[in-house]
Amino acid sequence: MTGPPALPAEERLTQYLDEIAAALHGPRRRQQRILAELRDGVEQSAHTRTARGATPEQALAAALAEFGHPTDIANAFRPEMAIADARRILAWLLATGPLVGLWWLLILHPQPWHGGPAALITAIPVVPLIAVAISCALATLVTTGRLIRWIPEAAPRTAVTAASSVAAFIVACDVTIIAVGWSAASAEFLGVIAVGASLARIACSISALHSMVTWQHRLNR
Amino acid sequence: MPMRPEVLKGHLDALLLAVLETGSQHGYAIIEALRAGTDGALDLPTGTVYPALHRLERAGLITSDWETVTGRRRRAYRLTTAGKRALHEHRTVWNEFSAAVTAVLTPRPTAATT
Repeated sequence: MTGPPALPAEERLTQYLDEIAAALHGPRRRQQRILAELRDGVEQSAHTRTARGATPEQALAAALAEFGHPTDIANAFRPEMAIADARRILAWLLATGPLVGLWWLLILHPQPWHGGPAALITAIPVVPLIAVAISCALATLVTTGRLIRWIPEAAPRTAVTAASSVAAFIVACDVTIIAVGWSAASAEFLGVIAVGASLARIACSISALHSMVTWQHRLNR
Repeated sequence: MPMRPEVLKGHLDALLLAVLETGSQHGYAIIEALRAGTDGALDLPTGTVYPALHRLERAGLITSDWETVTGRRRRAYRLTTAGKRALHEHRTVWNEFSAAVTAVLTPRPTAATT
């Protein structure tokens, strides 16, 4: 009894890359780059074999065997993809700080130049929490970026845990600031923008938190 | 006999940087260069080399760009200045390490018993 007919080389390669794509998680642009690199590598390997006299199907089969099982390849990229995703989320959370914080500053108008840091914390009680979140995010970005050639590198699991912690901190900050500033915010139009910005960030942070928790499960497998 | 990838732990970065020292190369060419340059002793799997290249790029030791070669789009990697410096440091450490290990592992003539 014979098996199903062999697929043409191009179709087989596309199927192989689709299987990798299905098991490859992380930032979409990074996924596309990896798949394009792998396609080029497999094609180059197959080309070398056809130049030695193999048929395109034989050459591709040997090239795919050389590259390995799609799941193994996707798993090999897991640590790098986890770090890339954690860094993307941390950078995004940091960037939203001024965008959301500005509106709350305009509404709660703390006056630290009169009352010092205590006045700032009284007006915006989440300031210490924000400072912790920013420190944690910056430390993770530093220990997973270019400086790793001089300083110890954070493990993927550490980076993912830090990103999920920062996302959780941000949710706590936004919920608290809405609760504290609600009476001031509901009285003016800027308040609607501030609450809207915080609610949008809560939704995005919860999604980021979910993504990071999923990464923790993947890295523990 | 091909070496297992885990044997190379700690030296993979230096090997990849050394392959790129001669000029820019794409991922599969780097695998082939390692294989050819060691008579097949270093036949590293794709799942080892490609992620390592991405990590080196994250560390700023190499950089990459898309190039079109004979109609095919490929990602070419090249050393950065920091990468050249790191390779020099790796070489120094390796020379000292291998000299020390060789000194210990080299069989010495046994002393004649009386």
